[in-house]
Amino acid sequence: MHGEYKMSGGKLVVADLEVDAGRLCRVQISGDFFLEPDSALDVINAALEGQPAGADATQLAHAVERRLEAGMVLYGISPAAVATAVRRALGDAA
Amino acid sequence: MTRTGWRDYAWRLIHAGPQQPVLHMALDEVLTDEVAAGRRPPTLRMWEWPTSAVVIGRFQSLRNEVDMDAARRYGIDVVRRISGGGAMFMEPGNIITYSIYAPEALVAGMSFQESYAFLDAWVLDALKALGINAWYQPLNDIASPSGKIAGAAQTRRRGAVLHHVTMAYDIDATRMLQVLRIGREKLSDKATQSAAKRVDPLRSQTGLPRAEIIQRMLATFRELHGLQADVLSPHELALAQALATTKFSTPGWTAAIP
Repeated sequence: MHGEYKMSGGKLVVADLEVDAGRLCRVQISGDFFLEPDSALDVINAALEGQPAGADATQLAHAVERRLEAGMVLYGISPAAVATAVRRALGDAA
Repeated sequence: MTRTGWRDYAWRLIHAGPQQPVLHMALDEVLTDEVAAGRRPPTLRMWEWPTSAVVIGRFQSLRNEVDMDAARRYGIDVVRRISGGGAMFMEPGNIITYSIYAPEALVAGMSFQESYAFLDAWVLDALKALGINAWYQPLNDIASPSGKIAGAAQTRRRGAVLHHVTMAYDIDATRMLQVLRIGREKLSDKATQSAAKRVDPLRSQTGLPRAEIIQRMLATFRELHGLQADVLSPHELALAQALATTKFSTPGWTAAIP
């Protein structure tokens, strides 16, 4: 499943994922955004892995937010934008 | 961290002959680390290359961005760089690309947005001297009245910042769109991506050859910040050639995000 979202004034966030037994799996976030350090991408993917497919955008954004570590910087992307891309991959209307 | 100024450093220029795209990827990593370690003074590097390539950003999905069959068909290399941002399409002579390697102290206390504009302020001066009214368009673009001129990307490693910029000189948009998948979502706020066959803001707005624009840019940098000609050390080149082979040519890196 595939979803894309470009936040206003930000960059494109793409979510590719599958759903197994009602939970997100094989979540891969990508796009033309910036993250420091680059390992922050693994943290974001891991935060989404296993989330309920019924989780709303706010819950998904919180799941990402909670896992980000001190010193990690997101530029052109936000937990809310990631959550929107994931919800679109899950079939929410654009 | 105390912020430094441009003139606190003895800036070096590296402008070598054409090198393979994959070596440029490796040089960006090596030279950033050499500046971070204090083994090399802050450096401006101008790129030249003999072959065509698509360079995707650190966080882009290979298959979402690139039509690999088309890239193979046209003999276009596909490489991934260490900074984020979007895909760029390089053919000999079609763009102007440079990298700045600086201690993070030069941008200490700045937001990312401020640091992008700060590190490219000299380019806006150079463009004005060439008769182009250009401005920084956050987050990471340089724009002119006739549209986007350039895109910048940064990454930070071990106390140094890599800031590199690609400027459109004369791009064959038809060929670019055959290998790059530019998504509908991305185009949603870029009305300029119509059926244009060429994207040539620097060539058409200056009427100057690419090499002349580069010389004018370097003159502006030299005037503002100081700039002394330099070359890659044999050690730096050897490190970069090794990384080009062991990292940047491997599917493990290029398809790190498949």
